[in-house]
Amino acid sequence: MAQKTIKSEFFKGIWSDNPVTRQLLGLCSVLAVSNAVINGVAMGLAVTFVLVFSSLIVSVIRKIVPNQVRIASFIVIIATFVTIADRVLAAYFPQLSKAMGPYVPLIVVNCIILGRAEAFASKNKVGRSIIDALGMSCGYILTLLLMGFIRELLGNRSILGYQILGKWFEPWVVMLLPPGAFIMLGLIIALFNLIENKIKEKQKLR
Amino acid sequence: MSLATRMIAVLTSVGLISGSFLAIVGQITKEKILFNKKHEIEMAALKVVPGAHSVKMIYENRDFAIFEDRDEAGHLVGYAIQAAGTGFQDKIVLEVGLDPTLSKVLALTIIEQKETPGLGAKITDEASFLRFWRNRDCRQELSLRKPPVSDPASLAPNEVNAITGATISSQAVLNIVNEAIKKVKQLQSEGKLLSKE
Repeated sequence: MAQKTIKSEFFKGIWSDNPVTRQLLGLCSVLAVSNAVINGVAMGLAVTFVLVFSSLIVSVIRKIVPNQVRIASFIVIIATFVTIADRVLAAYFPQLSKAMGPYVPLIVVNCIILGRAEAFASKNKVGRSIIDALGMSCGYILTLLLMGFIRELLGNRSILGYQILGKWFEPWVVMLLPPGAFIMLGLIIALFNLIENKIKEKQKLR
Repeated sequence: MSLATRMIAVLTSVGLISGSFLAIVGQITKEKILFNKKHEIEMAALKVVPGAHSVKMIYENRDFAIFEDRDEAGHLVGYAIQAAGTGFQDKIVLEVGLDPTLSKVLALTIIEQKETPGLGAKITDEASFLRFWRNRDCRQELSLRKPPVSDPASLAPNEVNAITGATISSQAVLNIVNEAIKKVKQLQSEGKLLSKE
C-alpha cells in the first residue's frame, strides 16, 4: 500500500471514502437520528469521541494483540468508550441523551467504528490512525448535518429548533418519519455519485 | 509465551483495564444521573400546578406517584400525579396537576414518549395539545373532542382536544389521565392522601 499524504488521509473520510455515502456504514444511526440538526450534531460528536479514542488504543496495542482475539479485544475497547460517552451524556446533557434514545449505546455495533479499527487502525501507526478517525468522523458528521438540515427544514419548518419557514409552508411530516430518512439518504448518495462522475469525466477529458 | 497464554493475557488485561475505567466513570456520573431524573420529575410536578413553590412526594407505587404542591406560605395548592401507560408506540409517562379538591385538572405535561414524530409526538406540544388541558372539570370522566376545535373556550368543561391524525395517542393520554384521577380519588376516599410528616 502506497503511503498517502496526511492531508489525503484526512480528506478521504469526507469525500472519496465517506463512511455514509461511499462505504454505506453506520446507516442505522444515520437514518434514525438525522430528523433534527441538533440530534445529528450530538450523535456525530459521540461517534467522533468513540472512533478517535478506540482507533488510538487499537493502534497502540496492534502489535500485542494476537490475530485470533483481535475482534473481541476491539469490541471490548469500543464498548468501553461507548459506555463512557453514554454515561457522560446522561449525566451532563440529559435532554440530548433522551432525544438520542438507544442510539448512543448502539454505537458499539456501528460498523464505522469496528470497520476503521479492523481496516485501518490495526494496521497503521498511531498518528495516521487518529487522522483517519478524525476524517471519517467529519465525513459522518457532515452527512448527518446535511440530512438533518433538509429533514428538519422540510418536516418541521425549523433549523436547530428555530422556525425558519413561515406558516405558508405545510410541513412534510413524512420527512421526520423513517421513509423520509430513506428517501433523503438515497437522494444524497445519488447526488454524491453524480458529482463524483462529473469529476471523473473531467479528468478523463484532460 | 505460547499463543494460548498470550491470547488469555491480552483479553484479560483488556477486560480488566476497560472494567476499571467504567467503574470510575460510573462512580462519577451515578449521582448526577439520579439527580437529573429526580429533578426532571420534580420540575414537572411544579409546572403542572400553577403557583406551586415546593413539592413533596406523598405516595409512590411503581409508575404511579403523587406529589403535594404547596405555595410559599405552605398552603396546599394542588396535587401533581405522575402516571404511565401504553401509547401508540411505547410507554407514555406524564404528570397531571389537580386542584386540592380533585375536581379540576390544572395542567398536563408529558415526561416520556416515543410517539410518531410530527403526529403523535404533538402530545408534547403546548399550542396544539397541552393548552387544551388547562382547567378541565374532572368530577366526571374526561372525554375526547373529535374533530378538535381551535379555541379551548369552545370545549365542554370536561372535554379535551384530540390531535388530528393522532387519535390513538390522544386517546392514550386521556386514558392514562382518567385512570390516574380514578386512582387518586380512590386513595383519597381511603384516607391515604395525607402528607406523611
